[in-house]
Amino acid sequence: MAAARWRIALSLTVAMMAVYFGFILLVAFDKPLLGSTIAPGLSLGIVLGVLVIVVAWVLTWVYVRWANTHYDSRLGGLR
Amino acid sequence: MIAGEANTVAIGFFVGFIVLSLAITVWAARRTRTADHFYTAGGGVTALQNGLALAGDFMSAASFLGIAGLVALSGFDGLIYSVGWLVGWPVVMFLIAEPLRNLGRYTFADVVAARLRQKPIRVASAVGSLAVIAFYLIAQMVGAGNLIRLLFGLPYEAAVVIVGGVMLAYVLFGGMMATTWVQIVKAVLLLGGATLLALLVLARFGFNPLALFAEAARMYGDGVLAPGRLVTDPVDAISLGLALMLGTAGLPHILMRFYTVRDARTARSSVGYATACIGFFYLLTFILGFGAMVIIGRPAIMKVDAGGNMAAPLLAAAVGGTGFFGFISAVAFATILAVVAGLTLSGAATLSHDLWVNVVRHGQSNSREELLVARAATVALAIVAIVLGILFKGQNVAYMVGLAFAIAASANFPVLVLSIFWSRLTTAGAQASTYVGTAAALGLIWLSPAIQIDVLKHEAAWFPLRNPGVVSIPLAFVVAIVVSLLRPVPEEVSRFHALERRIHLGTDA
Repeated sequence: MAAARWRIALSLTVAMMAVYFGFILLVAFDKPLLGSTIAPGLSLGIVLGVLVIVVAWVLTWVYVRWANTHYDSRLGGLR
Repeated sequence: MIAGEANTVAIGFFVGFIVLSLAITVWAARRTRTADHFYTAGGGVTALQNGLALAGDFMSAASFLGIAGLVALSGFDGLIYSVGWLVGWPVVMFLIAEPLRNLGRYTFADVVAARLRQKPIRVASAVGSLAVIAFYLIAQMVGAGNLIRLLFGLPYEAAVVIVGGVMLAYVLFGGMMATTWVQIVKAVLLLGGATLLALLVLARFGFNPLALFAEAARMYGDGVLAPGRLVTDPVDAISLGLALMLGTAGLPHILMRFYTVRDARTARSSVGYATACIGFFYLLTFILGFGAMVIIGRPAIMKVDAGGNMAAPLLAAAVGGTGFFGFISAVAFATILAVVAGLTLSGAATLSHDLWVNVVRHGQSNSREELLVARAATVALAIVAIVLGILFKGQNVAYMVGLAFAIAASANFPVLVLSIFWSRLTTAGAQASTYVGTAAALGLIWLSPAIQIDVLKHEAAWFPLRNPGVVSIPLAFVVAIVVSLLRPVPEEVSRFHALERRIHLGTDA
């Protein structure tokens, strides 16, 4: 039960870190790529920056949903 | 609109907010009778309230004034802060929030101390927490000083003293209850104000952010939309990124908020609300920063404050007139005040709950005495905050908070994570990790270009990076693990297994 929560929590953490450090590594090592403009006024860097924030939202939402529906009800049964 | 000129509308909003928040404080003071009330508002805060208060604690002067300023002056690189500060939240949610709620009472040291030896752990984490709080306070005081100087034409030093005094009144009399409600009011005002400001900016560009970004690129070159101006060195970028993400999970005033709610489920939901608010707010900083760059122009922003901290209020004056300028300044001021109050409260909790009650008095203290010590600690911290604020005039507040995050990520985060996840952590390991992490972060900041070249005007800096995270965070983890493995303590391992159920399930059964 607790193990299931850790599995989910850890995989979501890893996913978040992968997305974020992917972004940071691009900032660190491939500045020209992030600077390339897709449309006037829109660089790839800005698009990815917004995407990282959106991913953070989605992962948080997934976790809260999972924990509130599955985890807590089974936890209640356990007590 | 000339900087430093007092204007009635602005002052009206200011006074309005201060009266409102003092009213909250008076109301809360009548309900703050025990240490429990003082630190955690009695544990009766709801998820939405706590989510807003968390967001309020987190969206500090650094987020609003600092990031808008950094983006206005350096373009894309300022956004690294926006993104980095948000992604710490899911990590807090997944790894820390629920175990923390299940194990602790007032400070995050409760969690670590629950399975290890009390005293050494509490002393160590007090040192780490106070270092973080000091740097965080500097940033807020610098922002407040600039803001009041811009608004009222008061000298910077007088402004810092006023902020310190008003904050002291909130915390001293209202404790966590007042601080939480001031945070909630401020979070709502800040989100509303920033949204309105962003809309007013976008209205000038046909509600098309791309037109705004394109105009910025036309005026200052395509470089503003690409990384490279602020973070030139790749390793420095990674270092900053690490510190921003992991620091959130080591901030004492954020961690403390998990004790104001009833249970782990409420803690979880409150992080959900907080993440939503903060993410939305950081998306707005994209607009505000580039808006200030285009509408105000870099030279004008730099003229008012070299660190760029006044970009957002100036932008408000430009798109919304004096009244709106007053409103935004009042919101920014409220933001600072509330964050300073939250920080001071967590500092007071550390000094009184961790050091006084559990170390000096060996846990033999009553709630009345603890409350008295906490209030004395609050006064001491307010004085420290005022002095530091005056000493560090002229720094960009987002950068300063970046350093506070680096210290938090090095001193507190490794120990907290290991104490929740790793059964073999020992007291000596946790202690060594906190001290080494704090010392490494502080020492490397001292040796970095920011202090050696910018402040002390030396030719070169011994340590090349502006942010110490990439060295000090792994170092703190390695020290904790190596020291724990060298001298294993079987009793502490078995105590961890005894606590495991409580960590995960929130019950001893």
